[in-house]
Amino acid sequence: MVVGQHTVIRTAERDDARFLRAAYLGPVPRASLLDARKEPVQPTRDELEELLGSKENARGLFYAVEDRDGGVAGFCGLRGVNQEALFAEVFFLFLSPEMEAGEGGCEAVRFVLGQAFDRLHLAKVTILALDIETGLSALLSKTGFVCEGAQRQAVYMRGGWHDVQTWTCFRGDAVVSDNLQGERHALQD
Amino acid sequence: MPFKTDAIIRRAERDDLDTVVGWMSEPDFQYFLYGDPAQSPRQIRERIVSMLGRAPGQTMPGGVQLLIDSPSLGPVGLVALQNISWRNRSCSLDIYIGRAHLRSRLVTAVAVLRALEYAFDELNLHRVGAFIYAFNTASWRIFEMAGAKRELVLRRQVLRDGVLHDVYGYGVLREEFDEARRVRSRLVESASLEAMVAALPPDNPEPGA
Repeated sequence: MVVGQHTVIRTAERDDARFLRAAYLGPVPRASLLDARKEPVQPTRDELEELLGSKENARGLFYAVEDRDGGVAGFCGLRGVNQEALFAEVFFLFLSPEMEAGEGGCEAVRFVLGQAFDRLHLAKVTILALDIETGLSALLSKTGFVCEGAQRQAVYMRGGWHDVQTWTCFRGDAVVSDNLQGERHALQD
Repeated sequence: MPFKTDAIIRRAERDDLDTVVGWMSEPDFQYFLYGDPAQSPRQIRERIVSMLGRAPGQTMPGGVQLLIDSPSLGPVGLVALQNISWRNRSCSLDIYIGRAHLRSRLVTAVAVLRALEYAFDELNLHRVGAFIYAFNTASWRIFEMAGAKRELVLRRQVLRDGVLHDVYGYGVLREEFDEARRVRSRLVESASLEAMVAALPPDNPEPGA
């Protein structure tokens, strides 16, 4: 468990499935929740419980983000780690726009970047974002990510076409908080 | 379609298995596309069998494997329309020309155009995308000629020979492909032997003239 100034970040558990399902069913479409063909999926709670109880999750790559009151406010993590080219895809799912726009969102991003660059020694991370995920784009901009372009009209949703942006952050470009880093190492030790 | 060769594109079949296994085992295939050099031919064969297998009736296939074939040249290469999304009307495109000496020839460009025609005119797709390594200049130039736009530059994304290379993400929308097709048609319609002769430098007499 990592205690930050605005969040508590811990490995996600089976019991978090209902919160994760809320992200799938929420009003905001998210690129992170699309499948390989960029189609939305609606997993059942059982399927999500299975996912959160899987071996990959046990390796500590899927995290729940709690607010300071102990409520689950979102999820973050890494997937598709490519050891050869030293990159992975990251994801951030916040259940409220306030968390995404606030310091809590920044803390979650910094935590994941710390995991990617310091723990796994990756060289870069990437993340997909729909053009309508403006809150996520703003968060990525201020934490060191750079947009490397957008796949135009790649997703048809709610009666219209949407672009899928690819954002990248290289090891040297990450805006990582020393405060959170220090606290994490202290707690993990 | 102004460019013509005798190459056709047809659905890959079980009889093509040995040819396709041979291509996918080549170092060039793994260098320009994907694959693990450590894979055994048997593993590659099993993977291809699953790719070539027909989807059950009444279901929408998630991918289509096509073979570029020619009466004069024999099997030339492989076209894979993958990750077909019938909801988004999109897919990704991979092309491999097994005959190395034909890679910079007209047949390759025509195969790309034919594959895109199939995707847009027959499958009624809206968008075709492709990820091409930056060092594979011939491939991305052919895509640009077909109307595709470079949408992404993924820096230092793929490792080849110990060096990280950029990967370009290309996408072509149906109207862009149609426009590129119209431009090509106009070019051919406006071309004439008289215009070509007139365009020759005046001090360039024909040999023997």
